[in-house]
This record gives sequence, C-alpha cells and structure tokens, in this order.
Amino acid sequence: MALNKESIEAEIKAKVVEIAAQTGDDASELGLDDIIPATGLIDSTGLLELIAWYEKTYEIPLAQEEINIDNLGTLTRMAEFVLRKKGLI
Amino acid sequence: MATPIYVPRINNNDDEVKVLSFDVSIGDKVQADQVVGQVETDKAVLDVTAPSAGFVLGFVAKAEEVVRVGSIMLWLGNTKDEAIPALEEVAVGQSASRSSQITSKARLLLQKNGLQADVIPPVDGRITVEAVERYLSVLGGAKTEPKDAGATQLVDGLPDVQGNPVNLTREEKGMAATVTWHRDFAVPGYIEIDYDLAPWAEYAKQFQDAKGLLMPPLLPLMAWRMVEVARKIPRLNATMVGNKRFEYAPVNLGFTIQAGDALYLAVVRDAQEQDEFGFVNALGDVLRRAAGHNLRESEASGATIGFSSMERWKVTRHIPILPPHTAFMVAHAAGQGGKGVLGASYDHRVLNGGQVVAALKKIALPKNN
Repeated sequence: MALNKESIEAEIKAKVVEIAAQTGDDASELGLDDIIPATGLIDSTGLLELIAWYEKTYEIPLAQEEINIDNLGTLTRMAEFVLRKKGLI
Repeated sequence: MATPIYVPRINNNDDEVKVLSFDVSIGDKVQADQVVGQVETDKAVLDVTAPSAGFVLGFVAKAEEVVRVGSIMLWLGNTKDEAIPALEEVAVGQSASRSSQITSKARLLLQKNGLQADVIPPVDGRITVEAVERYLSVLGGAKTEPKDAGATQLVDGLPDVQGNPVNLTREEKGMAATVTWHRDFAVPGYIEIDYDLAPWAEYAKQFQDAKGLLMPPLLPLMAWRMVEVARKIPRLNATMVGNKRFEYAPVNLGFTIQAGDALYLAVVRDAQEQDEFGFVNALGDVLRRAAGHNLRESEASGATIGFSSMERWKVTRHIPILPPHTAFMVAHAAGQGGKGVLGASYDHRVLNGGQVVAALKKIALPKNN
C-alpha cells in the first residue's frame, strides 16, 4: 500500500478495529479525528499493542516523549506523524 | 584471558533458545554493550551484547542452532590471537575463569548448597544470587538439604492409577519451573480489600491531562505507589534465603503484560531511583517493548516485587502466581459500582496477613490522600 495519509489512516483504523475486537468492542465507527484513548474502544494494553505495531509497520522507533495525544491521539495525527517522521510533509 | 558470552534467557518459559544470527565475525573488535548477535524463542527476539570490549575469538554456537540458556555462545579475548580454552579446560577450570563474574553472595550460596558455578546458567552474564536461586528452584530442591524455612523435598511418585508419562515441551517445562517454586520455596497466601475507585481515577486523569499522555497512566501510577510503599517497608521487597529474610537493595518492579499468546513479566529495574513521571515513562518503555516482543534480557528477569492487572478482561478477582523469589504481588481487577478490589499474593514466610493488608491500604490511595 502506498505511503500516503489516507492509506495510512485506513491501515491504522483496521488495526484499531482488530485490537478492539479482542475485548469484544466494535471500532468500525471510529472517526479520523476521534481521540482514540477517550473513545474507550481500546484499553491501555491495546494501545501498547497498537503503538508497538505502528513502530514496526512504519519503521519509526518512538521515544517515550513522542507518545502523546498531540502526536498519536487520532488516526489523522498518527498518519501525519508517520509522514513527518519520514520527511514527506 | 578469554571471556565467554553466554546464551541469555529471554523469559521463564524457555530453557532453550534459537541462535538467530551473529553480527560479528572472528577477529572483529567489539565494544562493551555492542550487539554481537540475536537469539529468539517462538515469541521474542533478543539482542545479545558483549559484556566487555575485546576481539571475537570464535563461535561455539551456530546460527539457526537451538541451544541451552546459559551455554557458551561465543568467545571474546583481549587480543585477536588469544587461544580459546578447550572444552575440558572450561569444564575443569570454569569456576576460576568465571570467578570475576560470580558475586560474593552467590559464591556463599553456592558453597551452602554444595554447587559448582559451572552448572549455573548466568543472568546477564553473571552468576548472581538470583541465578543460583533460579537453578535451585528448577531443581526443585533436589540438590539441597531441606530448608529450615518450611521448604519441602520433592516426593513425586507414580500415581496409583495407570497412565502414560508425556514429555513436556520446552514452554511447558519453563512454566512448570516458574510455578513449582511455590511448592518448594514459597508458602503462598492471598488477601484482598475493597477500595474506592474515584480518588485513583481522578488522580490518574489529572496526571494524564497535565502530561499530555496517550496511555492512561492509572496502572503505572498504582505500580509506582507500590514501589514507594515497598521502599519504605523493605520486607515487601524481599524473599527467604535459608532461614533469613533477604531484603533486596533495589526495587525491581515486575508488571505482567500479555502480548499475543505470550505472557511477560516486564521489569523496571531500580524503580526506587525514579521519580513518579520517570517511572511511568520507564514502565511505558518496557511494556511497549514487551508488546513488540523485544524485551531486553534485563527487562525480562530479576523482579523483586510484582503487579498484575486483569481489568482488561473484566475480571473482578484473580490470584496471581508469585514470580520466583518474590514475596508480594499486587492483583488489580475491574471495579464495579464505584468499588474496586485490590488483592495480593504473598509469601507467608516473609509477610503476615496484617502486613499485607496495611500495604494494600496504602496502595489503594494515591499519594497525599
């Protein structure tokens, strides 16, 4: 899949849906600008899994201080952060 | 003198690992802490690092080979042309060649149990009390005299009912070793108390907003509170060695995390040296590595105290297994109707029920409440 904002958002959303399903939640209605932790769709363990997958998939090792709401709080922010880290925006 | 690099342990469930690859060649100069290769289990990959600077003399293990934890993986020397000790020399002289890597307390424990250092798989390349105790726990006391602190000897015989013995897989052996130490070395108990969820929820929300954290910090903050309490009450951060209570110097907080099918006890070492925010970040780091199956060896062993939550699964009560050589593990579960249950498994040789309840009451409230 090409590395553009929309495709990254779609990939991340698919992963969120997969993780939410582990605990019986349906994240298919998650919006691009919804604050992911605030939705309650995935818990802290699920968020850890999401971030570990995100680092590996997009090959962007994260420093602990980068893991915050401003950078990674929504699907859009996560996608934009990938592109920023790779110098594509 | 040539220095061996040993095959590290990745987790308690695996006594054997596969050598994935080597990043160095014979004759290469390496620095201390430089990655020299990788080992893996079914679930995790771990970098192997050089304990000191030196030259690569040769390899004992091969890439793709399944090897025993604690066996020699490769040799380093002070010069390129230093000789590798012959296997029989290693076997005979290992106590001497490894003498600088054996702590004085471990040496005493070896003597007490009539053991040679060469049978002990090292932890982080050193023979420590933890390494010796781990070996003893795997043995199930077979080589030790009955402990005067209540340990029992193995008396397993065949049951009266007919059946077939089935060999355990390496994962099953590891799990058995982890839990059977209770039978031989611990006297587990469990206690729980009710507590109000609101003060902790409010405290965690304020902390998250103030720091702009992505991850809800409730459990890391509760674990930090536990570290603070253990720092003030050293017997919580202890185990039994012989007939003495062994109070650990560092507070190494082990935190359970399920990553796929693997269950890790991710360890923040020297947690007592952190401040609250530093600890939350440090725990976040190791948990993230556990979630990615990338825990370092030092982060997968050496817990002196433990914290476990099954809130994720909406479990309202669980009784965690005490990690080896710990005496106190807090059990966090899902709350109901504004009330939560905070429990603890504990080693009754080290702690009594009153002490556990007192500790739980402190952990049930954020600091300054």
